[in-house]
Amino acid sequence: MTKYLGVFKAFGLLSFILFVLLPLVQMTMVSFVATLPHPDVARGSVTFRNYVGIFTDPNLRSAFVNSVAYVIINICITIPIAIPAAYAFSRISFLGDKHLFLAFIAFRITPPVVLTLPIFQLFSILGIVNSVFGIALAHTLFNLPIAIWILQGFIANIPKEMDETAFLDGYSRPQFIWKFLLPQISSGIAVTAFFCFMFSWVEVVFARILTTTNGKPISMAINALFGFQTDIGLVMAVTVTSMIPGAALLFAMRNHLSKGFKIGKV
Amino acid sequence: MKKNDNSGWIFVVPAAVVLGIVGLVPLLTIINYSFFEIFTLESRFWVGLEWYGNLISSGRFWASFGRSTLFSVLILVVQIPLGVAIALCMPQGKFWVGIALALVALPLLVPWNMIPALWLSLLNPETGILGQVMSKFGWTPDWKLSITKTWLVVVIMDVWHWTSLVVILCYSALTTVPQPYYQAAAIDGATPWQVFRHIQFPKLQSVLLMALLLRFMDSFMIYVEAFSINAGGPYNATMFLAVDLGEEIKAFNYGPSAARSVLYFVIILSVAWMFTKAQAWLDREPSE
Repeated sequence: MTKYLGVFKAFGLLSFILFVLLPLVQMTMVSFVATLPHPDVARGSVTFRNYVGIFTDPNLRSAFVNSVAYVIINICITIPIAIPAAYAFSRISFLGDKHLFLAFIAFRITPPVVLTLPIFQLFSILGIVNSVFGIALAHTLFNLPIAIWILQGFIANIPKEMDETAFLDGYSRPQFIWKFLLPQISSGIAVTAFFCFMFSWVEVVFARILTTTNGKPISMAINALFGFQTDIGLVMAVTVTSMIPGAALLFAMRNHLSKGFKIGKV
Repeated sequence: MKKNDNSGWIFVVPAAVVLGIVGLVPLLTIINYSFFEIFTLESRFWVGLEWYGNLISSGRFWASFGRSTLFSVLILVVQIPLGVAIALCMPQGKFWVGIALALVALPLLVPWNMIPALWLSLLNPETGILGQVMSKFGWTPDWKLSITKTWLVVVIMDVWHWTSLVVILCYSALTTVPQPYYQAAAIDGATPWQVFRHIQFPKLQSVLLMALLLRFMDSFMIYVEAFSINAGGPYNATMFLAVDLGEEIKAFNYGPSAARSVLYFVIILSVAWMFTKAQAWLDREPSE
């Protein structure tokens, strides 16, 4: 029985990977096919036209720039705020800490569609609608709680003796975080940034309501391609391209992915 | 033990402020709206609890509630065991684990509005890989007319999209099991099931709870993916809670949609509360 377990496991994993890859293979295949008749290529023939189309369409080009911009801004807001909070949740017991953590988690699981209308109004008043900054800020709603959760798992893995030695040496808490904690959790920060990137890059509800005229990200640029005669080949090509940065990061981070999400006790 | 020190608040203030702006202020706004009949944002009338009353007594709301609940239960029943199983199937060597994890996580990178498009393309009887195979076997391509088939597509699509997250969470918990535990289990001649039950599962509990929470809430409030696969149909069979709300917002029914949002938030808060209770219960148990 145990002898065949290894084979059984490999089979299970491989079939799951096959299941995961199937729609992606379909997507990649279609992205190389001319799905609408064009003057130079017949419908249904294999072509690079769709990929060329991405670079010649100014809307699609700017969509990529917008997406990269708001994701980076989001990470720059989220991580510096999440680190001290994660430190506090993991090391210090303070009045209302459990309730505050509950509130944070509640915001993570609040569906964006519930808050779309008031967020749109609030951001209109603040003047950050149709800008990448607006999307970046809106996305902290779900990224900040997740970032705090991942980071506090990493911080919990660091022996408490380190804190105490540093305090005995006369360092304050902020100094300790800056000088000793940050280098220790650098891979945790990378993992957190990756997950912020991932959740933010693919989100569409906030991205849709906050960008009616300007600052459209890739997901919305793809949406705009759907119409009476949808060039599905182009749609797939844009989707494939939109996955490349994430896939590259994913591959670079692959050995660290499993190090986040350590058992999070708050 | 954690230090008792209320100055800890200073460290969480920035996070609380940001979430206050993007979360709490909008939430208070919709709570306010939910008591009004709003024609334009300038002219509105106090209606008290009327919208809530209408919602609670509407069959449509409870029907969507039931559909969402059933969907979430289906998703959890499939995704959680599958995620744990795949995490247990991960290879031993570090090299292959990295490759496998990276491949498994790929669906998480697809823009959400494209996920239905991918599956529709896959199921297309003329150009889709799966659709072509299915039509060879003579399976009807008009799955959109059938309630069970549409549900099957939505469930499979969600399993495809999100099981990876459960796998990553569970695998990261499994890596915290010290190797000597396995050696001891091997010496005692433990069966794979015993190893799972007494060594791996205790380490998985907390992470599984988080996976349960995230997957329950995200599937309970499924919106983008569910709507574009079949526009809520056939016969409203995929009108889930969030889809219903989206329709209401599109129709500019500010008051009723605000009441609906508040009701959803109450559901969310009670689920999050149950989650922290469960977490506290797990923490009290001796973990080893």
